[in-house]
Amino acid sequence: MSKYTSMAYDDPDDMIFGEAPNPVTYGYGGIEAGGGQVFPILKCAPRPGKEERPEKLKSEYRKIARTTLDRATTLGFPAIEIETEWVHQMGNNPEKFAAGPSVANQDELAEKYHEEYGIKTSTCHTPPDLREAEKGMRPGHDRESFYPEKVLASFEVAAENGADILKIESTGGMEVADYAIQRQDITAFLWGIGYLGSLDMEWLWGNVVDIADRHDVVAGGDTNCPAANTAMFMAGGYLDQDIPRTFAAITRAIAAARTIVAWEQGASGPDKDCGYEGPIVKAIAGKPTNQEGKDCSVAHADLMGNLTAQVCDGWSNESAEFHEEFSGWSSGTWAEAVGYEASLMNTAKELGMAKELRDMYMASDRYRSPEAYILAYDNAYKIGEAIAEEGDSYYLRSKNAALTAAEMIEEAEESEPLELTKHEKDALDDILTELRALPDDEDKFVDQMLDEYSDLPKFDKEDYEL
Amino acid sequence: MLDIGIIEYENVFSRYDVKAESAVSPEELFEELAPEEEPWKSMAEDVVFLNPDGVESKVKEALEDYDPQEVINNGLIGGMDVVSELYGRGIYFLPQLVIAGDAMSNGITLCEEKLAESGEERETPGKVVMHVAEGDPHDIGKDIAAAMLKAAGYEVIDMGRDVAVEDVVDMVKEESPDLLTGTALMTTTQTAFPRVAKRLAEEGIELPFIGAGGAVNSAYVHSFDCGIYADDAADGPAIADAITQKGMTWQDLREEYDDIVPSAV
Repeated sequence: MSKYTSMAYDDPDDMIFGEAPNPVTYGYGGIEAGGGQVFPILKCAPRPGKEERPEKLKSEYRKIARTTLDRATTLGFPAIEIETEWVHQMGNNPEKFAAGPSVANQDELAEKYHEEYGIKTSTCHTPPDLREAEKGMRPGHDRESFYPEKVLASFEVAAENGADILKIESTGGMEVADYAIQRQDITAFLWGIGYLGSLDMEWLWGNVVDIADRHDVVAGGDTNCPAANTAMFMAGGYLDQDIPRTFAAITRAIAAARTIVAWEQGASGPDKDCGYEGPIVKAIAGKPTNQEGKDCSVAHADLMGNLTAQVCDGWSNESAEFHEEFSGWSSGTWAEAVGYEASLMNTAKELGMAKELRDMYMASDRYRSPEAYILAYDNAYKIGEAIAEEGDSYYLRSKNAALTAAEMIEEAEESEPLELTKHEKDALDDILTELRALPDDEDKFVDQMLDEYSDLPKFDKEDYEL
Repeated sequence: MLDIGIIEYENVFSRYDVKAESAVSPEELFEELAPEEEPWKSMAEDVVFLNPDGVESKVKEALEDYDPQEVINNGLIGGMDVVSELYGRGIYFLPQLVIAGDAMSNGITLCEEKLAESGEERETPGKVVMHVAEGDPHDIGKDIAAAMLKAAGYEVIDMGRDVAVEDVVDMVKEESPDLLTGTALMTTTQTAFPRVAKRLAEEGIELPFIGAGGAVNSAYVHSFDCGIYADDAADGPAIADAITQKGMTWQDLREEYDDIVPSAV
């Protein structure tokens, strides 16, 4: 598969929510991601205990789907997507816990509401990446739990039973990234996510695209939620001190160079909502991106609740536990929140004011954190250019993305209203020094990393065919 | 793009972290809190300023003249106390705590080897068994909590992630810890916690069992016997201290939860 070495857009100002150069259509009535309108996405997690038996899970997922579709229809939304992030039990035994209880069950309701009311509906399925590095990441490596085989089987089950689009939050390189985040080691993160993560994505997404093609469903995309979002959550807000926000920002730039591998392997988008690197990969590939922000406050806090809407194609609530609220089930309350936000964006488009709204979203959070700053669409575009410039090498493009982001933050602290604490500045200086000292040659880098990090307890180079 | 240069950002948000930044430097705090006597001061300095090689060589030197337990308490823990204070005041961040903790742990290992030569064991404030719930692969939270407990001197038995309920029960029977911890990211993997508690009760074992993690909340953890909720990794040492120093049971911990657990108030 070829890698991206050029940009889908000539000018970052052409990037806008609800539009992508390469739109994708799927679902009942045809939700056209990136085809002109933003669509809302609702995700709910089953209550504890509902995973005990397939029958209980089926009842729970049916309620989630029905209450979501009811609220979207009641409020007149043109479209709604229901995404299910599978729980462990579904991935561990997909035929028994996922096929009927979730996939076919929710597909049936999505079709019913479309037929009765004309609302466009779709179901997205995200099997869990159960793989554990200490057991082995590829088929045949894990002789205890057979997790790599189960991950692929999950996609087969989803595709066979009615899913419209397939996604995953894959975890290749996490065994190194966890170490890197806890020790503020940007070189280890570059190795874990920029290089090893990309190699793993190449293998995994080649398989997912193959499965999707065989069943005529859409292969959507990935996210670096397990690593870059972990860094972002740990960096947290102004009262948190787990890791510096400058470090988290650079991990995001590296994550983009890795998340785009799914699309290089043939996935068509939209990618996962929790991939905050979405604006960067959309700028490069022109494929639609789903995003989350202020309406995922039910799941976590972040410092860019408005900004993330700037160039999204689907708008999500991330995940809420399914339970009752004053106004009904949480599925309905969050469907309403994301649906109205999509309505606002679509109204702006109708009025010819989409770029103004985009800029208001962006400007609201642009200087709230260094990570928000590098994800503002004009800056995301520049990081995209840095990735495309070295597109043929997983290592060099990750390094270029990281360096570009770090230099961008350094410059903005001088010339724009981006403030940094002393600790954030010190961390940024260390990152720049480290990145500039890295070799210009991928083979040399790989040798150096294998030498330096080979004794990390969960890492096995065989998992990456090294 | 709109002209965003006209925005008065103080009307949009405030960088409270920049405003509240500490004026105290790590060096100043070290001078104030570090052990005064040598070789403990130099050893503590290497712990605080993240020089693992220096820690190793100074521990080896000190073990020639001092009792291993003295080396741990005066030099290594002495340094780690300063690191914890720096972290508590928002001057150090988690990575500094983890790297200093690694250096301290390596030093402790050397001391334990010396103790073992004379058939002795290290004195610790207590023992903690930690695991990630069955079916859950997310272990960074557990790793951070382990780093915090080690930094406070506790012996940590880390069972890793996706640990079967029966394996947890077996480990508790074997090690008789003061505290058990379990973490989970998902609503549907935290259900392993009450199963662990139930199995322990069947074995006649009662001990405080911290339940923590992304989708975990206090209402759930306090719905089964022994469960103690922790919202933050830094809660671990405070809960462990209450158990080992004040002899508190899980019922006592629930009763006085707001006074004991830092994140509770």
